Amino acid sequence: MDLLDLIDAVQSVADGVLFGATYALLGIGFTLIFGVMHKINLSYAAASIGAAYASLLVMAVVQAPAVLAFVAAAAAGGVIGALVYLVGFRFIPLANPLATLMSTVGLLLLIDEIIVHTTAGVPLNYPALFSDVIVQVGPFGLRGDLMFVFALGCVCMVLLLLLLYRTKLGLATRAVSLQPTASLLCGISTTRVNVLTFVITGVVGGIAGAMTGAAIGMLSPLLSLPLTVKGLIVTVIGGLGSIPGAIIAGLIVGGLENAFQFFRGVSERDLYIMLLLFVFLVFRPGGIFARPAGRD
Amino acid sequence: MDFYLGLIQIIGVHTLLGLSAYCVLLTGQVSLAQAGFFAIGAYVAGMLTVLAQWPLIPALAVAAVVSGAVACAVGFPALRVKGLMLVVATVAFGEAVRLFFFNFTYQVQAGALHLGPHGAEGFRQIRYFPEHGWSTLDVMLFIWTVVVLVMAGLWWLDRSRVGAVLRAVGEDELAAQSVGINITAVKVSAMTVGGLIAGIGGGIFAHYTTHIEHAQFGVVLATFAIAYPILGGLSNVFGTLLAAIFIQGFLIEGLRFMGDWRNLLFGGLIVLAMNVRPRGLLDAGTVRALKRLFAPGKERSGA
Repeated sequence: MDLLDLIDAVQSVADGVLFGATYALLGIGFTLIFGVMHKINLSYAAASIGAAYASLLVMAVVQAPAVLAFVAAAAAGGVIGALVYLVGFRFIPLANPLATLMSTVGLLLLIDEIIVHTTAGVPLNYPALFSDVIVQVGPFGLRGDLMFVFALGCVCMVLLLLLLYRTKLGLATRAVSLQPTASLLCGISTTRVNVLTFVITGVVGGIAGAMTGAAIGMLSPLLSLPLTVKGLIVTVIGGLGSIPGAIIAGLIVGGLENAFQFFRGVSERDLYIMLLLFVFLVFRPGGIFARPAGRD
Repeated sequence: MDFYLGLIQIIGVHTLLGLSAYCVLLTGQVSLAQAGFFAIGAYVAGMLTVLAQWPLIPALAVAAVVSGAVACAVGFPALRVKGLMLVVATVAFGEAVRLFFFNFTYQVQAGALHLGPHGAEGFRQIRYFPEHGWSTLDVMLFIWTVVVLVMAGLWWLDRSRVGAVLRAVGEDELAAQSVGINITAVKVSAMTVGGLIAGIGGGIFAHYTTHIEHAQFGVVLATFAIAYPILGGLSNVFGTLLAAIFIQGFLIEGLRFMGDWRNLLFGGLIVLAMNVRPRGLLDAGTVRALKRLFAPGKERSGA
């Protein structure tokens, strides 16, 4: 491999790592919901894409700068998160994990179909920010829109960590995730914490959906299944319940994905990501930051 | 008429797919790998009848064995983890299988035709049924013979000690382990049986559609596979059958007159069904009520 190929390879990996911020955010969402409720919310990525679509709807009605799309997506994500909790979790007995799994699958299909129905299945353009900026670092060019997505992802992660470790709500959330019964006895309303977790992860998901749209340049309902799979993989590789793990795993998966695409072509790309997951499951089932009891 | 026969065929094949997930769900594991086993069965059976000119039944048997063996091999690493991790591991396996067939090309020249799987284009010309003069009715009867046999086998398994062991692991692993049940062996066996059934189902699927491609075996098919037993209830095999009829017959074909709105209702009705009947359409309570209805007086406690 000559030097030019090497530069191209590093360039595509760098792009992948920047895009990996969206995977990291989705991974955090899956991890948080699982941590608090011990339930899988399979509709999460679809809800995120749905929130990004909702922000497009807002943008079509109100004339506003493109930054507002992200705010609108976050708000819509929060609302959709609360709705998902209400429809898919609130009235189903918690002792029955299969029922909530199935109801979130139903929601996944429902959200996808609502999107297809309102847009007639046509992909829509999404406003990108700083897409004309390219920062030159030596022989490499960092795309402005991807850098913005990456920076936004980092800000979200820091805010989320602050929320979880520096506020009363964060303390309550962590208490519920460790011992629901004991925290109930301490006067924490588990229902309230659950709803708020769904709202917070919804906001994060909405931003992730908007970031995906901005990075790819368009939105399509076809995005929701691959994003679901990638988000779940990031959750497992990072270690269930570990937020730093989800962040690092998201960036790694983003980078490796582009590396595999560069070397092996787009049709084989995801195959290697799946194999990577299996390597982790066999040799390190607890993820990157495995905690001793983190194997659930 | 052929339309309804075709619909009954689809319901039969999907019942097999659901039953394969039913086996694994009995042990309390959620496997989204069933679409992968289904795909392996479809490709293996298709290649045996088309490329090697085998008769159908041995080809199905080999497809079942291959899928079962893969399921067994996957079971060991995958079943070390539970809950969300297992869901992700099996999703990843299913996707890996799909992507393998997306990249898999093995073609043989036969006259003017190229036979065999061809990557993204899929595997065409699986023409065993038309070549051997099977009518739609014959195919339908064949499929349902297989379905009835598999259901009878699982029904018998359910009522034997094996069924009790499977359900014990599903209800409480720790308790099952403490009475001396080897839970890894039980889970891997359940996975293997699930793989066998999915392989048979996939083999039949390949032959009645005559054309298979990777996109048919994605995550959506895998969620359908677990949807049947969960929606139908895990109390016995008829729940799965009922859910396959409900989803394929009513939600997909019966609501066709609603046009575009059908797909929208589909997800919504699943959510509604889970809210109203979280333990499935045919749960243990319903089964008991039905028994009381049909055999009054025979109801005894402790049964």
